[in-house]
Formats: sequence, C-alpha cells, structure tokens
Amino acid sequence: MPRNQDRAKIERLMWRAGFGGRPAQIAAMTKAGVPATVETLLRPRGRALKGPAPRIDGAPLDPVNTYGHDVLWWLDRAVRGEHPLVERMTFNWHDHFATSNDGVGDTRLMLKQYWTLRGGALGKFRDLARAITKDRAMQLFLSLANSEKGEPNENFARELLELFTLGVNNGYTEKDVREAARALTGFTFDYDTKSFGYDPERHDDGLKRIMGRTGRFKPLDVVDIAIGHKAHAPFICSKLWSYFSPRPCPPKLLRSLAKTYRAAGTDVKPVLREILNHKLFYAGLAEPDMVKSPFVYTAGLLRLTNTWVEDDSWTYRLDQMGQVPFHPPNVSGWEGGTAWLSTSSIRARFDAASAVINDTIEDGSIKATQTPAQAIASAMAATGHPRIGARTANALRRYAVQSVAGKTEDYEVEHYFPERQRVLRHLLLAGPDAQVC
Amino acid sequence: MSRSPVRGCRDLHSTRRAFLGRATEVVPVPADALDGLDAFAKSGGLTRRNLLERGVGLWIGTAALAGLSTRSVLEAATAQAQSAPDATILVSLYLEGGNDGLNTLVPLADPLYKTLRGRVGIAPGSTLALPGIAEFGWHPSLSGLKTLYDQGKVAVLPSVDFADADQSHFNSRAYWQRGIVGQSFETAGWLGRTLDVVGTPDNPLQGISVNYSPDPVLTSHRAATATVYDPSNFNFYIGDVWNSDGFTAAYRNASSGATASEGLAAARRTYANAFRVRDQLKPLRVDDQHPLPPVPVAYPDTDLGKALQNLARMLGAGFGTRVAALSMGGYDTHDDQAGDHAELLTDLGDSLLAWQADLAARGLSARVLTMVWSEFGRRPEDNDSGGTDHGAGGLMMVVGDRANGGIRSEFPGLAQLDEDDNLRVTTEFRTVYATLLESWLGVEAARVLPKIDGARLPLVK
Repeated sequence: MPRNQDRAKIERLMWRAGFGGRPAQIAAMTKAGVPATVETLLRPRGRALKGPAPRIDGAPLDPVNTYGHDVLWWLDRAVRGEHPLVERMTFNWHDHFATSNDGVGDTRLMLKQYWTLRGGALGKFRDLARAITKDRAMQLFLSLANSEKGEPNENFARELLELFTLGVNNGYTEKDVREAARALTGFTFDYDTKSFGYDPERHDDGLKRIMGRTGRFKPLDVVDIAIGHKAHAPFICSKLWSYFSPRPCPPKLLRSLAKTYRAAGTDVKPVLREILNHKLFYAGLAEPDMVKSPFVYTAGLLRLTNTWVEDDSWTYRLDQMGQVPFHPPNVSGWEGGTAWLSTSSIRARFDAASAVINDTIEDGSIKATQTPAQAIASAMAATGHPRIGARTANALRRYAVQSVAGKTEDYEVEHYFPERQRVLRHLLLAGPDAQVC
Repeated sequence: MSRSPVRGCRDLHSTRRAFLGRATEVVPVPADALDGLDAFAKSGGLTRRNLLERGVGLWIGTAALAGLSTRSVLEAATAQAQSAPDATILVSLYLEGGNDGLNTLVPLADPLYKTLRGRVGIAPGSTLALPGIAEFGWHPSLSGLKTLYDQGKVAVLPSVDFADADQSHFNSRAYWQRGIVGQSFETAGWLGRTLDVVGTPDNPLQGISVNYSPDPVLTSHRAATATVYDPSNFNFYIGDVWNSDGFTAAYRNASSGATASEGLAAARRTYANAFRVRDQLKPLRVDDQHPLPPVPVAYPDTDLGKALQNLARMLGAGFGTRVAALSMGGYDTHDDQAGDHAELLTDLGDSLLAWQADLAARGLSARVLTMVWSEFGRRPEDNDSGGTDHGAGGLMMVVGDRANGGIRSEFPGLAQLDEDDNLRVTTEFRTVYATLLESWLGVEAARVLPKIDGARLPLVK
C-alpha cells in the first residue's frame, strides 16, 4: 500500500514539524511528496495566518492585559498558522531558551520575546543566541540585567553554556562560567522607569580567560566563543533532532547533521531539511512513538475539526494538561515525552475533545438506516481522517455495533444514533492513538 | 539588602506547573523490624535493602525460621507488601509562600523577639502554652494544633532549611520538592522517587495529589500516581452521552494490548489507569442518594479542610495509598500579616484537628503521619508594611499518633543570625526526609536522596 504509506509520512511530518495537517492540505501534500513538502515548510510563502481572528465574549483577544489571553494568542497562531514549521520552531526555541512569565512578570516583554524567537526560528543559531542574550524578558529571567562589574551574576552565563549552547559540563568549567559572567556584565534595568540599557561603566572590561581564549571580551563575544567550541554543533543538532524524534540520534547521523550545521555557518535550515527527509524520522509509522505535547495536541485537535479559538477555557485546559506557553516550569523547558501523560492530564485531554464535540451533533439528526460502517466513515470524515491502529479500529467497530443494538424505537434512534457519532468522534480525537504521532 | 519583596515574589505567583506525575504501590516497614536479620539476609542472598523495599514485616523472621526457601519468602513478602492493609502512609502538606515560623511557635524566652518583631510580634500573654516548656508559646489561633500537641501527637522542628538559601521561592520550593539542594536536572519529586523505588506500576492511587494538577513532590519517573482533588466526582464525561459504560468499554478496548511503541504504550496505560481510578473511586461518589458521610469533628469549610476530608475518604477506602500530597497557599505575608496569618493558622490547626479525629474514627490514625513544611521561614526583623520578608530556617511539624511529640530540633535563638539577618539553620530538611523514609516508610534513604548523610532525628515513636 504505497499510497497509504505516503499519506502516513505526510501526516507524521505535519504533526512533528507543525500542529497537524488540515484535512484539506494532506491530500495535496501527499501528492507533492515528502521532499517537496519539506521545502514548502522551510520556505513558506503567503499569509502567515488564515481564518477568523479570535473573539472571546464578543471582544478581540487582549494578550497583555487579560489573564490567560497570552496563552490563547499563541494557541490561535498555531491553529490558524499557514507557516507551520516556523510556528513550531518558534515554540521549540521557547522550550530551548525557556523563559517563564512567572519569573519575568511582564507579559509585554514575553510577547516581544515571541517575536525574537520567531524572527530567528529558521535562521542562523548564532543570530538567535545573540538576540536572546539581548532579549529583555530573558535578561530579567536569568538576572542578566544589572549584573555588573565587581559582582557579576552567573545565572545567564551558566545557562548559556549549560543549556543553550554546549550541554552540562560539556567542554567548560566553573572557572569558565565565572569568567563568562564577567564578560556578560553591563546590561542595566531601572525598576522605576522600566528602561533597559547597557552601561559601559558597569561592564567589566578587564582581561578574561574563557574556554582557553583570552581577551577583553564583551557580552556577545561569549556567545561566539560558546558556539565556536567543538562541542556546540553536536549538542545543538542533537537537541534539534530530539524535537522531531523520540529515538536517540545515531552517532553517524549526528556527525552528518553537525557537519551540515557547521558548513552552513550555524544555519538550522539545512539541518532541519536533513532531519525531516531522514528515514529514521519516518520510522514506526504504524505505531508512532512520539507523545504529542499538550500544546501540539490541542492546536491539532482544533485544526483537525476546523474549530477556532473561541473561548478562554483553553488556558486552563492547557494548564491541566501541563503545558502553558509563556510559562515553562524552569529554564530547562518542559520534560516532555511520556511524562506528559498522567491520570489527571489524560482527563484534561479527554475533556478537550468533549469540548470540541459538544453541541455539534443534534439529537434526531441521524437516521436509523445508518450502518456501523457508515457511522465510522462519517466520524472519520469529521475528524480529519486521523491515523488509527488496529486496536482503535477494532474498538470503533465493536462500539459502532453494540451502542445501537436493540435501539429501534423512534425515541431511541433519535438519541442513540447521534450519541454513537459523538463517541466515535471522541475516540478518534482523544483515544490513545490520538496522543501519539 | 536591596532585595525587593515584589521582585522576590514573582515566582510565587505562579499557579502553573508543568510537573507531571505518573503513578505506583509501596509497602513500609519500620527499619528496626529488620534488625537482627542480617545473618538470614546474607545467607539468602538478600540485602537489608531488598527487604526494606519489599516491605517485609517482622513475620519474615518467622518465615525464615520455618525453613522456607528464599524464593518463596520473597514471593510471599512481595505479595504481602502489595496488599498490606496496615502499610504506613506519609502525607506532605505544603504551606506555600514561606510560613512565619517565629509567629507560629513564638520564642517567648528570647529577649530579642520583642525588639525584632516590634510591629507584627505576638503578645506573649496571648500565646497558648506548651506543657512543661516555658520558652515557646503557640500563636493564639492555633488552639486546634495545641490540642494535638498536648496529646503528644506533634513533633515540632523550629529551624529547618538548607545552608545558604537564596530566599527565592522558586529555588527553595524546587529543592524541597525534589529533596535535592542546588541545581539539578532531577525532575521527579522525593516522594515520587520513593514510589519509583518501592512502588508497583499499576496502582495510581498509591500516590495521590489532592489537587487539580500533580503535586511536584509526587512527580515520578516510572511509578503511576493519581491526581484527584475530589473523589466525589472523578469521572469522564462526554456531552449528551448517556451510556458511559459504552464509551468506557470502547476506550478500554482501544487502550488494551502490548505495543513496541513506548509512547503509545504510555497512552494506553494512562487511559487504563485513569479509568481504573475512576472505577475505584466510584464508591466514594456523592449524590442525592449518597450524601457525604458524617465526620467526628467538623472540618473547617476551607480548601484545606475539604482537601483533607477528601483524602481521608480515599485513605479509608483502602486503595493501598502510601504517600499523598496537598498544599495550602497564602503564607507569603509581606504586608498586613497579622490578620492574614491568624486566619491561615486557624484553618491549619482546626483542619489538622478534624483530620486526626477523622483518621482515628476510620482506624487509620496509627498508620498516617502528616509532614507540614514550607519553603522557608521569614526574616526575624519585621518590615515597614506590617509584614515579614523572606527568611531562612522554617518550622516543620510531623503530626500523627505515631509522631514523637515535643520539640525535636534545636532552636538557634535570635541573638546570632546568619549573614542575611535570618534565623540560622540547625537542621537540614533532608535529614527529616531521611528519617521519615527509614523510620516510617521503610525505604533506605540513600535510594531516594542522593548523597544523604547518616544524621537522623527521633520523629517517630
């Protein structure tokens, strides 16, 4: 079944490199094939958003001033986004350069950081790392602002090396962290006027020795020293791979990705191209092994059902699922993987599907002549023909028969045939197969 | 000190958590019960640790004497552990924000208290006395707690924390929750790791977060845990679907079977666990025909009172729970502390009193210890806003019939403070954890707490 296999590949690509393909897109992409679709993802054209802008209780979103609207704002961009890989990489970088508004306390700065991340999402890592060093939310979050000569704060320096560029204890020492912190001094923030700046007087312009290099380094020199280190390319390529596959990156592939990355001058685009075309990325199509993150699951749920962000329940739903954009748990981002799933988070995922289905199928709208096979086909069509495994297919068939067995009276048909449809759609949207991609 | 209270507290106002718990089942054995079994343990190829982890009681000695094979002893021990109806239970109650220990247990005999607490100090005459101890008095709102203390059911530790705390809510809370001080990539909480060591993979209710999202102390790597605020209504709903047995069966079918995919296996297992928890909790549902059963002492009508009542109902139903966690907010009293703190402590003391009475009525009070903790204490010198800023050396309490009542750690006094003008820390919180792991849960502390030293405290009787 080469045709099915091609479609399965495109579905995986759109889930892992985006937020799930809209039903109408999948067929066209399948026809175009994987390499061409990857190119489209890497070089998107046209409008970034499509569909109606969200309105909550009749008013547009107010992400800065209304609690939770920042979350809805980002979710809406994922749902309406026409440049899925850009949007997905923006979110991946949010996880990588994890900054939480719990520590920043200024939603305006968090929204600005979104644009910092988005601007560099598919560009050179060097540019993005330099931009994030100057990013105000980051400067507040990791105490870079007001870190000054004489008493440098090591917070940002440590994470820059440990989390952002090299990996824990991977090519640097405590001494390097302290020296890097000296070089990173001079950024200022005035708590009264809320203004940011850089004061050469507060910068330590003495000689520093960082990872074997000596000089009167300035803040951004530290970024260049870190990404110039030989451990950086394997580290960042391995991290990129982990955003697209839960399987360990084989050493040979990692060497190849690192080589590509270096040759491109830290441009991530060719690395992503290599990952998204690699056969290991498409392994296990019949039984996918990547757990969708709550944000991806939720955006995908809305995309599959052609639903828009229309109420503010998604903020607390994402909270209960365990992933609130702009609020990663700490600077190392979300743990991810199977850790997403707990008895409470799975209930929240279940409820999310209930919310999408609610009030979409009227009692009395389905005739008693609908066969079980027709009922399943109808549910598949309404949920974007999601990939399902044999277990789910079997569960659907059994339920489709048993749920209406003996329901022949008019008043029974009126309710139970639509009820069957509600449950079939629910299982397709929220069942175990819907949790993985 | 240029630390701004507003800035210091931003991290506290986080209500969001991405810590996720997964679930398991454990059995405790007092470590002492195994003393003298070394020879047997060696001969059978067993270690003290194996035995501890399998939760074997004293009877194992009898089994050994009876000449059973190592294998059959172990199998029996495991079976006993998994069904142990008398397993000990540890409950973590977190006072969120940094409880003011100095105004909870007031150091009456310290002459500097009056000086440093000129604005929010508790009048010595209004405190509630501790029998035989003139140095301290309870906050006047703690009559409920005093009752328990006077019954010998409260072990009090006046200055517990870790060295060189930076007074960040975020850091301190994370360290306490993980049981690891300092930077760490450990994502699991110390009680979650306890379940990882001794739990079973298929009983989520062995570790219960009484909340809407998993408590970080219960986050585990492998063990299943449950997050249930209210067992009266833990259920799955689909709008306009009347036959819930129908969709439950469909979900169970779809969630059955083995798969090589770790992710898919986790999704199936989690659904199976969640529906199991739903079924297990069914007898606890409350509706018109099944009203909430009466309790011996009324719980306060507060979030904490409700949460403890909910937990007592779950423990009473015998699901093999070994650890549970809940929290109570509002302790970050930077301003107008007097009224707020009094209200919080009234709630705390009265809730604990009702909780102990409820546990006793259910025959559980000898099996449950409640550990009350906060991420830090507050600065001895009060501030200009009628409140107190972040300090060190918080007050911990262990409450229960088997708690070794009394003051169980050193109070450092106010005369000599640390370099940040905070209370000196006399006891590391990890020592308390280690003690409870070994003396109460029957788990070797080093399996859960990396680099733990040998210090222990007399907290359990």
